[in-house]
Formats: sequence, structure tokens, C-alpha cells
Amino acid sequence: MALQTLNFEFQAETPETMTKEWSHLGVTGSGDLEVLMEKKNLGGKVQAKVVTPVKGFDEVWRRMLGKFVNDCQVGDVSIEINDDNATPIVVYMRLRQAWAEASEKEAE
Amino acid sequence: MQKWDELEKSSFLDANARQRAIGMTDKGSFTELLGPRDRFTSPHLPVLGTAVEFDDGMVTGVGRIGKHPVFVISMEGKFIGGAIGEVNGGKMVGTIRLAEKAAARIKKEHPDEYAARRPLVVISFETGGVRLHEANAGLLAHAEVMDAFQDCRHKLPIVCVVGSKVGCFGGMGFVAAATDVIIMNEQGRIGLTGPEVIEQEMGKEEFDASNKALVYRTTGAKQKYIMGDCNYLVEDTIGSFYQAIVDVADKPMAEIEKMRRIGSVKLAEEQMGLVKLVGDMQPKDAMDLWKYYGNEKPEELPELSTAEFLKVVKCRVRN
Repeated sequence: MALQTLNFEFQAETPETMTKEWSHLGVTGSGDLEVLMEKKNLGGKVQAKVVTPVKGFDEVWRRMLGKFVNDCQVGDVSIEINDDNATPIVVYMRLRQAWAEASEKEAE
Repeated sequence: MQKWDELEKSSFLDANARQRAIGMTDKGSFTELLGPRDRFTSPHLPVLGTAVEFDDGMVTGVGRIGKHPVFVISMEGKFIGGAIGEVNGGKMVGTIRLAEKAAARIKKEHPDEYAARRPLVVISFETGGVRLHEANAGLLAHAEVMDAFQDCRHKLPIVCVVGSKVGCFGGMGFVAAATDVIIMNEQGRIGLTGPEVIEQEMGKEEFDASNKALVYRTTGAKQKYIMGDCNYLVEDTIGSFYQAIVDVADKPMAEIEKMRRIGSVKLAEEQMGLVKLVGDMQPKDAMDLWKYYGNEKPEELPELSTAEFLKVVKCRVRN
């Protein structure tokens, strides 16, 4: 019944960190999620914390987040996710969008 | 996040709460208070197994319009239908109280310039009212918001903005009615009991919630505009809402007071007059009232664009 909290750690081969100090994207709507990314000195690693009402998908989360970290070579970033039943492909898409915003060069 | 100039041209209906908040104040002036990074999530939702959001479904902050500080409250309908709980309710009350304090300070420090520097509160409603997971706290927040409105009365304007998909229903329908000025786009809706709930309780014969045309001409902005419940009917761009708020920011308080619907004996009498009118004429549809107020072909009004509608519509005359 209660919400689940999952914690993960990843290490990419040639990681690069984000340009902004922090970045936020998305809304915890039904079938959707929000992502908060923060630059953090983790020795090149990525920490991820997922809060979700869904049980039994820990391995899917690990794979999806791992794929994102490897595809984008992310490092020294803390990721926090509030999820409300998003499908894996939505999770991946939101992570890529959040990363694009977090690595935007030009600050407004 | 899009740039401010792009935001102004984009649809208010399709935007999220944060984009609306940024776009309703001067370019580059908005500062969010208690944003996602502060992680002020609801303490009640996790034990019920319901997903949380870092800003609890509400963007609050302060920006400017010219010299006027603008205290913004923007609800996010995608998170639990924008429903009001303990944390976002507290954020709402806190923001209005902050505006009240700012007004007192400006009055003291700039007594001659108060009109030009007068703050305002802008609330974008996208909610069905109380969040049932934390209903007591949600209800309390409604009451506290109404109290805060009352304390701001005659000092600074409280502006209600409705232009979202969810609309403004439930207890927040009362709250919206208690504001000074209401700005809507054609897609905006205000009501107390939502269409689905009426149908569920009273039957399809009473109100058919699947009939979108019926729903919109009963709760929608055009009906509210004809009845005088909506003061500004604008196009569906964030920039149009911004322009209407700019207009309100410089108006004298006496003129803003005239836009109110409730809050004085005279206004209560006016509302009672409406109740009597409806009792006497027994309208079967909102269009009966539109015709009563001088619109010869009321069935054509829902089809018109906002600009065409504003050119031809005849509204209830308030004395």
C-alpha cells in the first residue's frame, strides 16, 4: 500500500556532468513522472532515487536508468524521480528530456 | 523551458503550471518560492500509496508587472486533478499573506506612490477542490484562503485566472467567486459541483455530462461572461492573460471593487435578484438566459470565436 523508495547507483565509462546546478522536468501525472537532476560530486557515479506506487519492477527501473546513464554518459549527477505508473519508455523519454534541459549551454 | 517570448504566444490551456506562472509576469522577473528543489511533498499521500510531487502540484512565487509585485499561485491539474491538500493549501495561504505584508510595507515606505507600486495576487485555478486523501487539511486551507482574501480587501486586488483543462470546481469554485477580478479563456470553466458528479447524483436527465456543448454553455467562460461572473474573456494565449493582468494592475481599487460578484449587501441583493429571476422564468438551458439578456440568436454564440463573440454579445447589465 505504501509508496516504495528504490535507490540505485550507476557508473558510465566516460561520464560528463550536467551544465546547470540543478534542473527539473515533468509532472507526476497519471502514467507520467517528474525528474529532478542535481549536479553532485560522486566521483563520476550517478545516484538515482525513485519513489513509486508500483511494486515488483525494481529490475526494470535499474535497466531503464542504466540504459539512460550509458546512452548519455552521465556522471556526477543525483537523479530523483516521483513516478505515478509511467511505462518504461515514458521513463526513458522523460530522462532524455530532463538531461537535454540540464545540459543546456545557454542560460536565460 | 521555453523562452518568455515564446511562452507569451503559446496556449494557456496546454501549458503547465510553471510556464503559466512565468508567462503571467514580466519577462525574467519570476522567482519561484518553495519550488521542486525544496521537496515540500505531502506527508499524507505516501501512507496511502499515492504518488507525490516535489511542489505538491502548485507553483508559487513572486514576479513583477512594471513596478507592481505580482504574487503568483499556479495550480497543476495533472497532479491529482489539482486538488488542494495540506502542503499546497499552505503554500496558497502563505503566498497571499506575503502579498498582504508586502502591501503594508509598500504603503509605509512609499505612501505617495502606493497606486503605482500596489502588489497584486494572481491565482491560476486548475482544481476540483479538496484533495480527498487529506480532506480536513484541504478544507481548512479553503477557509484560510477566504480569510486571507477578506484581509486583502480594498488594499490589493486578488485576480482569478481560469483557462485550464480541469477548470475550477468544488470548494475552489466558491474561492474563485470570492476574488475581485476573474479572467478566463473560452475553454475555462467555473462551477461548484462538477458535471460528472451532478449526473451521478441526479441522473442523465438532469445533466448529461457527456454532452460537452451543454457542459460548456452551463459552466464555460461565455456563459460566465454574459452573466457578469467573468470580467475579462481573452484569447487562449499566455500573453493574452498577461495583458489582462497588466490592465488590472493599474486600475484604481474603487474600480476593481466594482468587478466583484459578492462581498457587500448590495451585491448579495443583486445575487438574490438573479435567484428570483431564474425562479420566475424557469430556464431550461443557459441559452434561455442569453436570449433574455438580448441575444436574438443564442444558439450561434457557442460557435463564435472569442473576438467575434465579444463584438456581438449582449451581457447582463449590472447597476
